[in-house]
This record gives sequence, structure tokens and C-alpha cells, in this order.
Amino acid sequence: MLNNNTVENVLVLCALVIVLIGGVAILGWGVPLAYVLHGWMIAIFAGWGLIWMITRMSEEIRDIPLEYNDKVTRFGVIAALFWALVGFTVGDILAWQLAFPALNGDIFWSNFGRLRPVHTSAVIFGFGGNALIATSFYVVQRTSRARLASESLPWMVFWGYNLFMVLAATGYPLGITQSKEYAEPEWYADLLLLVVWVGYLALYLKTLSRRAEPHIYVANWYYLAFIVVIAMLHTVNNLSVPVSIAYPKSYSLFSGTQDAMTQWWYGHNAVGFLLTAGFLGMLYYFLPKAVNRPIYSYRMSIVGFWGITFLYLWAGSHHLHYTALPDWVQYLGMTMSIILLVPSWASVFNGILTINGAWDKVRTDPAVRFMMVAILFYGLSTFEGSFMAIRPVNSLSHYTDWTVGHVHAGALGWVAFITFGALYKLVPWIWKRDGVYSLRLEAWHFWLALSGTLIYVGAMWNSGITQSLMWQTYDADGAFLYSFLDSVIAMHPYYVARAIGGLLYLIGACIGAYNIYMTVSGPKKAQTREAGPLVQLPAE
Amino acid sequence: MTHDTVLVFSKTWGAIYLMAVFLAAAVWTYWPSRRKVYDDAAQSPLDRQEDQPCR
Repeated sequence: MLNNNTVENVLVLCALVIVLIGGVAILGWGVPLAYVLHGWMIAIFAGWGLIWMITRMSEEIRDIPLEYNDKVTRFGVIAALFWALVGFTVGDILAWQLAFPALNGDIFWSNFGRLRPVHTSAVIFGFGGNALIATSFYVVQRTSRARLASESLPWMVFWGYNLFMVLAATGYPLGITQSKEYAEPEWYADLLLLVVWVGYLALYLKTLSRRAEPHIYVANWYYLAFIVVIAMLHTVNNLSVPVSIAYPKSYSLFSGTQDAMTQWWYGHNAVGFLLTAGFLGMLYYFLPKAVNRPIYSYRMSIVGFWGITFLYLWAGSHHLHYTALPDWVQYLGMTMSIILLVPSWASVFNGILTINGAWDKVRTDPAVRFMMVAILFYGLSTFEGSFMAIRPVNSLSHYTDWTVGHVHAGALGWVAFITFGALYKLVPWIWKRDGVYSLRLEAWHFWLALSGTLIYVGAMWNSGITQSLMWQTYDADGAFLYSFLDSVIAMHPYYVARAIGGLLYLIGACIGAYNIYMTVSGPKKAQTREAGPLVQLPAE
Repeated sequence: MTHDTVLVFSKTWGAIYLMAVFLAAAVWTYWPSRRKVYDDAAQSPLDRQEDQPCR
């Protein structure tokens, strides 16, 4: 059995003390009210963590039970659903505001620039990040057949990550932002996340090193790529100089084109390694479990891993076509983005062929249906992404709603669908329930989410192409035929459609959250001879 | 060392390096004698009893 690891405890204590000192410094010296409140939050969280750690360490050394640690996974599932509802709600409010601008009420905190990062951070990092942390803890334990390597680090990771999320989501409406897309939180929140992430990486590596299996299952490769690359991206893109401890404001270490390139190197790899690699890890564990068939080609999943890992890191410059960035960097990003289609579609075929032979489950099990549609949307959005990275195509699509549609095909159709599919499997397993409360509600969630996504993406394709054509139509003298405002007015019906699509998606997610709540509050599975989920016991 | 020499170096050797690493990964993965390792790995989440860890 494990013993309480003293070196690790001391390191966690040191980290908590440093965070506590940081929080106290901010609440003491800070000037803006929101920043002082953040100082209080950091200090209270770190202080609470310290008390918890000291209490634990002063108790007699407890035996660590020989069972999987799923408690933190349960918290992660709840947090993911909470942030999903926050993010989808704010997103749909923004969609209605774009259709009817008066709806922002002319209030400073509800304007688009402040609410939009609440939406993006809540869905990408709150929902997606918590889902990845929760499922990665589950998967690494099962595939390593070992308990998580630490009793305190999982909690530090979970609470620290969600504290970062709260700092982010409360800071934006009050004007705390460094204005880097998908990396808006200011320096102090970034430092907190850095501490959390180092803990996450250490925990993951330590658990893998305790594995009772000769081979590291491929899902862990993808999860690990997600953890390692996010650590690298987060650190480099957030290199900045705070003006003083008294203010949240900081200035980036880079300027001009370098800043833009660093930002999109970060931004595109956040897509590549958080929204793609992490969720492929989820797919490669939960899909085989759900259909009870092995990955169609395990070797292809490994070659695909190296393809995605190598190619994504080069593709970021396609966000900066026709800018001051040197042409060769733009062409490099474009070329790598096109080649990226190969490993992406390798994963798509691998997923579909894994389902092949269990098509009946697509009909009977809405969770498998979620996963199948997720793979199809992954195929659609990776093809679309490669296509949009081609310079002439980008001259049409860039700055239009086509980009917004593309992102949501990936986020709603791929990331959220694979997550909901995995959660519907995971929830009964970790809470030891016979199954999900209601398959009917699960199917309702599926169809609402699918119609919402199709309406959303369809509306944005139409509005994007319309915008682009209106902006590039000239009269005989070479002057613009349409003013910018003409194109804004022409968008109105599409924006209404988008808001309706988003509303359907939100309603579906509410039904999903209710279904999961009812599953968790329902009766436990009878405590008989328990096989693992979906594993058949041999006949006796 | 000018910008152009770095550029030429990265354009040529960068591409060769990328190709070499990819080929190495592909050959390593598809080497016939390693087939069993991956077949076993693919089965591992399905075969194992998952109610208790080993350590």
C-alpha cells in the first residue's frame, strides 16, 4: 500500500503558501475593487487548502484504500455541467443581443466585448477543461489499473482550476482582460493556472509510472499531449510584465507581428491540443467501451497521434493570412493545415470503423449516437478547417461569420457531443448506478442538440458567405456597392436563426443536466458480484 | 547568421527532420513483430475487470 508521501505534501504546502501570499498581497495592495475581490478569493481558497492539508497531515497515517479514486471525477463532472449551462446561456444571450442590439440594456458589463469571453472561457475551459480533467483521471486509472498517485494533488488540480475559472469569468464583465483571444485572464490568474497545471502534469506522469500494464494505452497519449502542450502554450503566450502589484494590468513581452504570431500559435494549438487531442483521448477510451469493440486500428491511432502532434504546431499562422506576417510563414501554416487533414481523417475513419459491427447500438443507445455524430462533425470541421486555411479561400472566409460557423461545428458538434456521449456512460459507472435515469430524455437531448447545431452552423454559413460577397462587390467604377451597415442589416434573419439554434442546444443541455441529476440521486446498483461496466462475466 | 540563412536551414532541414521523425514513428508502429503488443493494447480496456486497481 501507499504511504503518505512527505516530499509531495511539502511541495503542495509550499505551493499553497505561495498562492496564499500572492492572494494576500493582491487584497492588501490592490486598488480596483474587482482585483481586490480576486485577491480575497485566492487567499480564502489557498487558506482553506492549507487548513485541509495540515489537518490531513496531523492525523494518523491512514491506509489508502485499494480502489479507484473517482470522487474527484464526480466533482469534475458536476463542474463541467455547471460551466456548460453558464457558457451556453451566456452564448445564447449574446446571440439574441446580436440579433436585437437593444437587448444589451446599454449596461457597461453586458456589452459584447465583456460578455463574449465569459461565453468562450466557460464553454472551452469550464466545460471542456473540467470534462477533460474528470475523464482523464478516470481513464488513466482504469487503463493503468492503478489508483491516482496522490491523495491531495487531484483536489489541488480540481479546485485550483475552478478557482482560475471563477477569476476569469468574474473578471471579464468588470473589465479585467489582457485582450488575447482565449487567453484573456490577467497575469495573476495565469500564474495560478501555471501552478495548477504543473500539479496536473506531475500527477498524471506519476500515475502512469505506477501502472500495472506493460503498454500505455493510446488514450493516455492524447491526454498527456493535451497536458504538456497546454503547459507550453500557456506559459509562452502569457509572458508579460505586470505594471504593478496594485493593478491587474500587464503588458505582453511581445509586440506587433511577433505578438500576433505568438497569440495564434497559442490559439490554434489550444484548438489542436485541448479541443482535439484531449477529446480524441476521450473518444479512444469511451467509444470502445460503449460499443464493446476494440479500436478498429490501434496502430493507426498511434500514427495519427504523431501526425496531429507534429502538424498542429505549425498551423497557427493560417489565422494571419494577408497580414504583416512574412508570406513564407503564411504559406507554411497553410501547407501544414492541408496535410493535417490526413491524420484528422485517419481518426475519423478509425472511429467510424470501430462502430462498424455495432450499428444497432447507434439506434438503441443515445450515448453511442452522440459519439457517432461527434466523429462526423470532427470529420466535417477538420475538412472545413483545412479548406479555410487555403489563402484564397481565407480571403473569402476571414472576418466573416463563416469562421464563427466553423468554430461552432467543431465545438457544438464535435467537442460537446463526444463529451455528452462520454458523460452518459461515465455517470452511471462512477456513481455506481444501473444506467442513466431516462433513455428517452437522453434521446431528446440528442435530437435537440443536433437540430440546434445544424440550424446554428447552417445560419452562419449563409451569413458568412453573404457578408463576404457583399464586402467584395464593386460597381463599374471600382467603388463598394454595399456599405458595411448594409451587410449588418442583411445578417438579421441569420442572427435570429442562430439564436434559435443556440436556444435548442441550451434546452437540450438543461434536459441532459436534469437527466444526470436524476441518475445521481436515484438508487444505487445492487451490490452483487460486480463486473466492470460492459464487461461480461464468463458463464459459470 | 542572417535571417535568410536561418530561414533556408529551417525550410530544408526542418522538412527533412519532420519527414524522418514521421517515418520512424510509422515504421516503429507497423513493424510486423510488434503486432501483438498493439493487438493486446487494443483489447486491454475491454478485457480487464475494472472494479479494483492492482495498486
